Amino acid sequence: MSLLSLDGVSRVYSTRRGLFGRPMPVRAVDHISFSVAPGRTLGIVGESGCGKSTTGRVALGIERPSDGGVLFNGVPMPPPGTPAWRKMRARLQLVNQDPLGAMDRRLTVAAQVEEPLEIHGIGDRSERRDRVAALLRDVGLRADLAQRHPHELSGGQRQRAVLARALATDPALLVADEPVSALDVSIQAQVINMLTDLQEARGIAMLFISHDLKVVRQVSHEVAVMYLGRIVEQGDPEAIFADPLHPYSRALVSAIPVPGPRRIERVVLTGDPPNPADRPSGCAFHPRCPVAVAACAATVPDLREAADGRLVACHLVDAA
Amino acid sequence: MATPLVSIRDLRVSFHGLPALRGIDLDVAPGEAVGLVGESGCGKSVTWLAALGLLPPTATVTGSVRLGSQELLAAPPAVLDHIRGGRIAMIFQDPASALNPVKRVGVQVAEALRLHRGMQGATAAAEVLRLFDQVGIPDAKRRVHIYPHEMSGGQNQRVMIAMALAGQPELLVADEPTTALDATIQAQILDLLRRLQQETGMALVLISHDLGVVAEMCRRVCVMYAGRIVEEAPSDELFAHPRHPYTCGLLAALPDMVGPKRRLEAIPGGVPEPWNMPPGCAFAPRCRHSTAACDAAMPGFVPVGPEHAAACIHVQSAALVAA
Repeated sequence: MSLLSLDGVSRVYSTRRGLFGRPMPVRAVDHISFSVAPGRTLGIVGESGCGKSTTGRVALGIERPSDGGVLFNGVPMPPPGTPAWRKMRARLQLVNQDPLGAMDRRLTVAAQVEEPLEIHGIGDRSERRDRVAALLRDVGLRADLAQRHPHELSGGQRQRAVLARALATDPALLVADEPVSALDVSIQAQVINMLTDLQEARGIAMLFISHDLKVVRQVSHEVAVMYLGRIVEQGDPEAIFADPLHPYSRALVSAIPVPGPRRIERVVLTGDPPNPADRPSGCAFHPRCPVAVAACAATVPDLREAADGRLVACHLVDAA
Repeated sequence: MATPLVSIRDLRVSFHGLPALRGIDLDVAPGEAVGLVGESGCGKSVTWLAALGLLPPTATVTGSVRLGSQELLAAPPAVLDHIRGGRIAMIFQDPASALNPVKRVGVQVAEALRLHRGMQGATAAAEVLRLFDQVGIPDAKRRVHIYPHEMSGGQNQRVMIAMALAGQPELLVADEPTTALDATIQAQILDLLRRLQQETGMALVLISHDLGVVAEMCRRVCVMYAGRIVEEAPSDELFAHPRHPYTCGLLAALPDMVGPKRRLEAIPGGVPEPWNMPPGCAFAPRCRHSTAACDAAMPGFVPVGPEHAAACIHVQSAALVAA
């Protein structure tokens, strides 16, 4: 039974070109479907503008899908701002890249971790205080840091504090949007280990959004590669990172600099990712694709099951 | 090593009395590619900002930085103006903020040509086009007339590189040149830097927090920690046989792209604050091999192989050699 499922979700924004331009629809997310089970992590990878953060916001119910449906625990996601949604939000939490921006600089760490408990009316004062102490212990923050303000903490400590706050309401789903991207390697490893430990102990489901493929491989049970609003390949991270089938995944995986000899031949793409407001016809990747054929410019490839069970959206990959 | 192009000796920098750089010795040979890696605040950028006289007056800089026979630290501003962008060029992480937003990109590159090579008018315009072609900006004839905000991050970085090449530098210092870029664009820019280095024969100093980037681009790597170089080795050797406990820790903390998944080995604690520097080895408080002797004095470099040295008193001990 999946905890979160997205079915054919699209999110369309409207923008204008220039001051007097006509409104233009931008499909930030285009017809994506996936589900996440309790205790599992779905990693979403892709480059800027591929729609991975929008996907996270739709999963949290902060944004309503323009099309398609979001089910949480089998129940449709209520519209944002409604009492039903507020109640549900205690079970869904977000951790993003910038912990300082996510914290109130005037409040102590303890006050911030306690805030969601007050908002959702959990426990009385002394219970809440015990809970805060336990949460800080769980994320590995020393007790004396509880009375400090965000600017008195290091980047890693801040991200731990944000995580303690996200865990305060005992969420079933955590959307982690580039949670370790701003941290140095040695601190990044501390936070990643803590995230996987907490997930194991509490059975939290995670949507882990990142541009860093190595980090995604480390934490994910399943991975989805996005390009210009669509999932182009989805499945087992080991299979996808060892042998990507979609030409875009191939380029992305081969672009990761690694010490020592590389296993996949380097594919350097030409050009920049296209503007989502100016989507190429057919497969959105075809203008940059090294192996594109005529059909790629004409029709959008469906996400189909390939031989080993993963899903791939490419005309040139044989279906199972 | 052949006569070095740049030779840095005992370079120290402090801000308001707090040490940021605590004695750097580094040579860069003509045409070679050297990587400087380390985490935020380790001094990898400060080293080159200090060398080029780009630090604010609040910084106290001592030591020596020689470019050939010219001492840079005491050099008058006019000499530095000639060297910066001329013999040594620098590019940074965020090209959009390094470019002037209200000037066309072609004009900005032409300005560098005028300052460093005395080119004007049609000669300069032709050279700008050639440089744009060289750094792989498509449709150069039209692109020279647009503004930075009309270009993507990757294209802006290409403009910065064209500007850096304008002075025909002997050394390009690239400070996190691809950190703000997407993975596929990063691959393009790294390819470009590699090709340009071969074409022009300039030396390259690549400053990065990304060990993978440095491994791919550089023949030699220096690992920095808390204002000092702690290990120096040819890059293949460094990644195959790291010897300093900090380098070993960094590599173990990095998730792999292939092979069996393992739990990451995090380095406990954090980097020391400048006002709270340990008396001896700065890494000792986080190091599992540390002993009382580590706190006694700052460790000197111990040679551990050809061109390979590490600043650790335990580097020859059995535990570390096995690791």
